[in-house]
Amino acid sequence: MDFPYFQFPWLGDGLVIAITAVVHVIISHGVAIGVMTMIFLAEYIGWRRRDERYEAFAKAAVKPTVIIITGLGAMTGVGIWFTTSALVPAGIGSMLRLFFWPWFVEWAVFVSEVVVLLVYYFAWDAWQGPRKKRHIYLGAAYVVLACLSAVLITGILGFMLTSDGWPWGREFWQAFLNPSFVPQLAWRLAESFALGAAFIMAALLFFQRDVVFRGEALRLYSAVLGVSAALMALTGAWWFQVVPSSFKTHAAFAFQMMTGMQDRPWFWTAHLVLMGLVGLTAAVGLLRWRLLAKVLAIPAAVSLIIFLAEFEWVREFIRGPYLMPGYMYANTVLLSEHELFKHEGMLTHAYWYNQTVPKPTPEDQGAFLFAQNCGTCHTIGGRNDIRARFRGRPEDGIFVMIGRTEEMVPFMPAFSGTDDERAQLARFLSKLEQNAYKLGAPARYPPVGAEER
Amino acid sequence: MNALHDILLPSPVPETLVRGLLFAAFALHLLFVLMMLGTGILGFGYFLQAWWGQELAGAERPALVSELRWDKHVLRMFLIHKSLAVVLGVGPLLLIQVAFSIPFFTAVTLFAPAWLLIILFLITASLSFDALGHKMYVHHYAHLAIGVVALVALLAIPGLFVAVLVSAENPDRWAAVVREGFAFDPRLVVHWTFRYLHVLGAGLVFGAAFHYFFTSRGDPDRKRSLLKWMLGGLLAQVVIGAGLFFSLLREPTPAAYAYLLVGAALAAVVIGLAAFHVGGAPMSARIVLPCLVVLLVSMLLVRQGFQDAAFGSLMPDLKRNAEAYRLKLAQHSDEAVQSYKEHIRIVYDNGQTIYARSCAFCHGDGGQGDGPDAHYLQTPPERLADVRSTKAYLYDKLVHGVAGSAMPYFSYFSPPKIAGVIEHLDATWHVLSVPSPLPARVSHADMAAAAKEYDSTCARCHGTDGRGTTPASKALAPAPPDFTAYSLQPQWAFDVIRSGYASTAMAGFPSLPEGVRWGLVQALSEKRRPAGSP
Repeated sequence: MDFPYFQFPWLGDGLVIAITAVVHVIISHGVAIGVMTMIFLAEYIGWRRRDERYEAFAKAAVKPTVIIITGLGAMTGVGIWFTTSALVPAGIGSMLRLFFWPWFVEWAVFVSEVVVLLVYYFAWDAWQGPRKKRHIYLGAAYVVLACLSAVLITGILGFMLTSDGWPWGREFWQAFLNPSFVPQLAWRLAESFALGAAFIMAALLFFQRDVVFRGEALRLYSAVLGVSAALMALTGAWWFQVVPSSFKTHAAFAFQMMTGMQDRPWFWTAHLVLMGLVGLTAAVGLLRWRLLAKVLAIPAAVSLIIFLAEFEWVREFIRGPYLMPGYMYANTVLLSEHELFKHEGMLTHAYWYNQTVPKPTPEDQGAFLFAQNCGTCHTIGGRNDIRARFRGRPEDGIFVMIGRTEEMVPFMPAFSGTDDERAQLARFLSKLEQNAYKLGAPARYPPVGAEER
Repeated sequence: MNALHDILLPSPVPETLVRGLLFAAFALHLLFVLMMLGTGILGFGYFLQAWWGQELAGAERPALVSELRWDKHVLRMFLIHKSLAVVLGVGPLLLIQVAFSIPFFTAVTLFAPAWLLIILFLITASLSFDALGHKMYVHHYAHLAIGVVALVALLAIPGLFVAVLVSAENPDRWAAVVREGFAFDPRLVVHWTFRYLHVLGAGLVFGAAFHYFFTSRGDPDRKRSLLKWMLGGLLAQVVIGAGLFFSLLREPTPAAYAYLLVGAALAAVVIGLAAFHVGGAPMSARIVLPCLVVLLVSMLLVRQGFQDAAFGSLMPDLKRNAEAYRLKLAQHSDEAVQSYKEHIRIVYDNGQTIYARSCAFCHGDGGQGDGPDAHYLQTPPERLADVRSTKAYLYDKLVHGVAGSAMPYFSYFSPPKIAGVIEHLDATWHVLSVPSPLPARVSHADMAAAAKEYDSTCARCHGTDGRGTTPASKALAPAPPDFTAYSLQPQWAFDVIRSGYASTAMAGFPSLPEGVRWGLVQALSEKRRPAGSP
């Protein structure tokens, strides 16, 4: 309510943030942590064993990696700031008040990481011979910094699944060192190394000509892949144990999403197949079966990307109705505001609404109440279309359902407003469901044309 | 209270510290942004120069021109400049969001579509310039196309940022934008244009200076060319700067005049030095670089002054309003935390809980269709205690709901949970058993009359087979139930036949003799398929 309303058309806000975030984690985990660690490993082995082949392989791999990290990884990382500040400003603004220092330190780590990476890349040729040791230290420093930035961001990302602590104590460390912090961090690192190994294996198999070296290196990275994938399974299960049961029950929905969800056997089969694929790739690599490994490497990397996207999706989904536990709903209405609005109404407290619409029609009011209460997740005519949710339901039924969202659907926030406002929203949605409105620009408030059809 | 207020959680950093950090982080960020812009512009400029040079020179001097390829030398640095510009930019973004949350986020939401496009511009510019700078020798036309795309994307980014800042600094216009969208405002547009060009000009100066001092050692030709670019950029800055000064939206403070004078004096010094060295010996980095850095800082201080003036009148009000609102909300915070505590204690993993949370507000704790919200509904909720049905039938109703009534779909609960609800219903009200026997025997005559009545009246919608799939029932919402899988306890069935079911097509038949109504109840229960039959 403190900001003018904007919703990303058709896709909705959540999915746009999710897409940016997933592209970012694929690169930040898989490439910036994973691949770079594998490159450093090769360089280190080459240095210790005085093996030119490892050195040459590491050097050839570093350029495209740096270009991807700085060109796509950093940009999508900044992109998460851009999307959240445009789509959920009140949410990110509040999170920032709580987590300013970890984010600020994260920034310093991030800058150091990039500086070290650039020096590591540009100084490769110059720092040879007696200066090689310095280059090795630099590589190690990079790996430490990359992992450190994962430590910092995990504290923030796990906060939303807090079942105790912060909502009562309101202390920073209660929020940062939340119950899922350690298992989530362990999982993220395992996933990063697994994905990095899979990417590097693909590069080896497709571009490396030296047969003997290829076999040796394949074996090394297959071992990394195998161990990391096993750790992923263990830490993933650990994480799921730690998640509060109340949140966990949303998981089935998050996993299976809408229509496909009623078909559970399919879901578990798919998981087993993907996990099996990763394990098989590691085994085949260890046995140095080149051709089979070549066939499997990219599907294995894709499987790991699917797991990563799924983890983020589930994590974001099961936090359910809360953006900040015990403080703010997913639609950025504060829990205490929710209590206030019950008595005083949302519309009277909506600054921009009252600025914008001096003489509101019932349609304006309904559209605004929809935008503020539901617009974070639901669109009109796009993804998670609100009309489909109420298809065929009468106005009185919609009125009752809106009033019970929090109880009826455990992952939905409650409606915030008076009973009169709830009735206005129900009327708006009912007419919307009957296609009684001409839709205006969907992204801006109000999303309907002024006149009825 | 209806006033714009700051974000309610207290700021984690003292205001002076956050402002100081913001200025320092922004200056650092901008330095690399300028070098990135300059590198991009120069790289593309040198490409054009080499290409035209080659065409002009024809076949006589191709070797010389292809040796030039200065654009490659310049663009190789793009990776560094853009990486640092981007990562250093996160800091100021963070700091401005915490220091000036309302003006910044408001401007961003007003510009949202363009603001989101910046991500695509960043990726496009970055990957395209990296491709050109890193030994990707492509055909000239391809190079030209990629270069144009890269440059347009790159130059759009500061334009959008400047627009967001201009918008953030003019809060008095926000309401009009929200109401009517962006309108053409000549003063703002002129101000934006000069401010944007001033960034680009500075980019050219700093980019050229960087390459002059750091990447052209031992190459006097290139040094001379870079110095010309730098001098041109500086002279352009003087003109653009004068335009910017006259297009300012606020009166400069005395401090701003002082910083402006320092900046202008330094600019004059650097222009003088550059002009003096164009034809001769190389300039000394030790004099020029500090001058340029102080020049940048003094100009940024001028900028900061205007920004502080713009936000300064706004922020105290926002903070006061936030404090008042915080106090008001504090009365409700115990309630809020308590409701959170209760909500996360509830685990939706058993039928009993799910019934209590998701069903009982309509169907009632006793399954009598009399939950606290039932009175809102024209179509009364089902009296579940009187339902006698099958697992499959109930499953279908729970997953898909009943269109035309308030019964929602519950497909977001997984199959075991829905099965759990059905088990709970059965354990409480035996919904999976067969209906109880009728309280009295129905005579043969009444049964015959009931059969006749069913065929003549009921079958129109309910079908002779009781499945409720007749042409007449197709348009009905809610649809008639399937009597082969669903029945009601006799007394309730009897009551429904007498009085109908409100707000559905099921009318009441109070004029039917009581015996015939019981006959109908009996006839309906006979339509139930025995368990296990298909």
